[in-house]
Amino acid sequence: METADFSHPSRQSAKGIIIIFAFNAFKFFKKFFVLFIAFGLSLAKKKSFAHINKTVIVISLVAIVIGLLVFAILKYLHFRFHINQDDFHLSTGIFNKDNTIISKSKIQNVYIKQNFLQQLINVVSLNIETAGDNKSEIEIHALDKPTALLLKRELFDQQESNILSGNITGSSEQEQQKQVFFKVSPKRLLLEGVSQNHLKSFAIIASFVFGLYYEFKDYVKDLKIRERIEAIAEFDETTLLGIFLTNVIIVLFAVLFSLLFSVIKTFVTNFDLEVVENQKTIEINKGLLNKVSLSLTPSRIQNIVIKTNRIKQYFGLHTMSVNQAMVSAKQKKNFVIIALEKSQVDHLIDKILKHYTLDSDVDKPTQYYKRILALKILVTALLVNMVAFFIFGNGALWVNAFLLPLAILYVYFGYKKAYYHINDRFVTVGGGVIDTTTNILEIHKIQAVKLRQSIFQKRRQIASVIITTASKSVKIPYVKENDAKSIYNFLLFKVESEDKDWM
Amino acid sequence: MGFSNSQIHNDALPNVEDVELLSISKQYLKIIVLNKVVMCLAFVSVLVLGKFFVTKAGFQEGFWYIFSIIVGFCLLNFGLAILAFKKRKYAIREHDVIYAKGLLINSITTVPISRIQHIEESRSWLSRQFNLATLNLYTAGESGSDLSIKGLPYQEAKQINDFISSRINGNG
Repeated sequence: METADFSHPSRQSAKGIIIIFAFNAFKFFKKFFVLFIAFGLSLAKKKSFAHINKTVIVISLVAIVIGLLVFAILKYLHFRFHINQDDFHLSTGIFNKDNTIISKSKIQNVYIKQNFLQQLINVVSLNIETAGDNKSEIEIHALDKPTALLLKRELFDQQESNILSGNITGSSEQEQQKQVFFKVSPKRLLLEGVSQNHLKSFAIIASFVFGLYYEFKDYVKDLKIRERIEAIAEFDETTLLGIFLTNVIIVLFAVLFSLLFSVIKTFVTNFDLEVVENQKTIEINKGLLNKVSLSLTPSRIQNIVIKTNRIKQYFGLHTMSVNQAMVSAKQKKNFVIIALEKSQVDHLIDKILKHYTLDSDVDKPTQYYKRILALKILVTALLVNMVAFFIFGNGALWVNAFLLPLAILYVYFGYKKAYYHINDRFVTVGGGVIDTTTNILEIHKIQAVKLRQSIFQKRRQIASVIITTASKSVKIPYVKENDAKSIYNFLLFKVESEDKDWM
Repeated sequence: MGFSNSQIHNDALPNVEDVELLSISKQYLKIIVLNKVVMCLAFVSVLVLGKFFVTKAGFQEGFWYIFSIIVGFCLLNFGLAILAFKKRKYAIREHDVIYAKGLLINSITTVPISRIQHIEESRSWLSRQFNLATLNLYTAGESGSDLSIKGLPYQEAKQINDFISSRINGNG
């Protein structure tokens, strides 16, 4: 098996049985979890349930395990793959035979993953991805690493250039062209974690806490939070300070928890992040519990998004997400490279998009955009007010004292950061409120262009242009109608006249 | 190629505004009306059923308020749908397909033919009665870039389908 000959049907590593078994066992128990609990409860109440006693349970459990094991072995035996000239072949299925053939030229991405269990028994899984939907994804669960790397190279390199046929011994040459371009240091990871958008972490924690609150509603009521809060409304001088202090402590705890959560999350997903530059592709390796290694081919990349914020900018931290066609949301996260210096971002952009430039004279949306931003924040503020009112009553309206300056800042920064620039080959759209985001896409990768205008905007002769690529849509917000139409015509003209492939 | 930024404002580029957008079949208005009527009737009948079976006092008292709100909503929806019908327009150019719709929020979407992955012509039972067809154009992008042109005369849908199919295959 360790011979690197993929021309004949071969199975994955025998350890794959363990992985398949573990996956299925997990799935099985997850599915029947509720049933087990119900069963266990009724057993606990009466000593026996429909003549079932301990031995029967043990026997049935063993039977389930053996069944799953046999299933895993059969599945392993029937999972075979091989590569011929241009295609990857895979046959699976015990009862229903499936035969999948993927043409190498259609493979968008090959990447190697290793979850915790796979790390323990030292195998990796290899995913093959096309631009289609999730169904056309292939995952080989257990390969030893050298085999996986060879297979990946077979699939990837030949798709790049058909000259390298069967170039397996030439791997040392390949190795020499590799160059570790970027390796994250723990310090930068920590900074990245600290400077993340804690609102997101806070939202996750808050929803968790609210869930708990509803579970233990009665207990919380005993704490008389409501009475205490109502006391604020009465402005009782002596209790005011105490309540103020408790609030401050609560806020501090919330901030601390969010911070910790962000940092841990950053460390787990981006542990040992490494960007390797190959001759044509870029390789990303990262992860602690789930190790991921993936290669990016510039021609398959549809969008690039660069994100930073005020604090991150100070530390020189930039996040770059690279979007390929139709990649499921779960995977999208893996294409994110964090903690890059500005120069490194520029270098990577130059590698992916040859000769990318952004002129200093960028265009701005019209003032109308401010109105839209204000409207958005107004709706949010109203919602916050309503929720606060229903929970805390009249006293909650002081919330507006905080909301108003925030709203003004929101509109101010939202407008200040918005810009767009279109040149011969690229569309760049900037935006963001807390974050500063930059969207870059190549004009020949556009799939559709849309002009949008509400009746209110029609009167003011303002319109938005929405540009869709195979991975996401980018909006040029609220520009003058004439400009919008020019952009629209120009982009279409470029796409239709150049006749370049989008993939 | 010598395109620069300033040439965005070049008048020589083909202009969407110059394109004469075609209206879809008048017959489709009937389908819209039918759909809306069925929807409104469903709402109203659920409400009327509620009057007979729900015994809660609050519901019985507020019945006419709820009723009038729902009827008002239906009428508004109905009126907007009919007015918006005129905004549903399409055009096929040499290199792209254009579809415009929307009264309150008007949008014009253009999909270059070279980006169409596949094309599908579908006919529901109702649209067969009116001899209409829906043309679905799928691109590789997310669903936002797929076009669905409803209420085309069947013959025309077929012609467009043939034209675009041949263009897609012709370009490889």
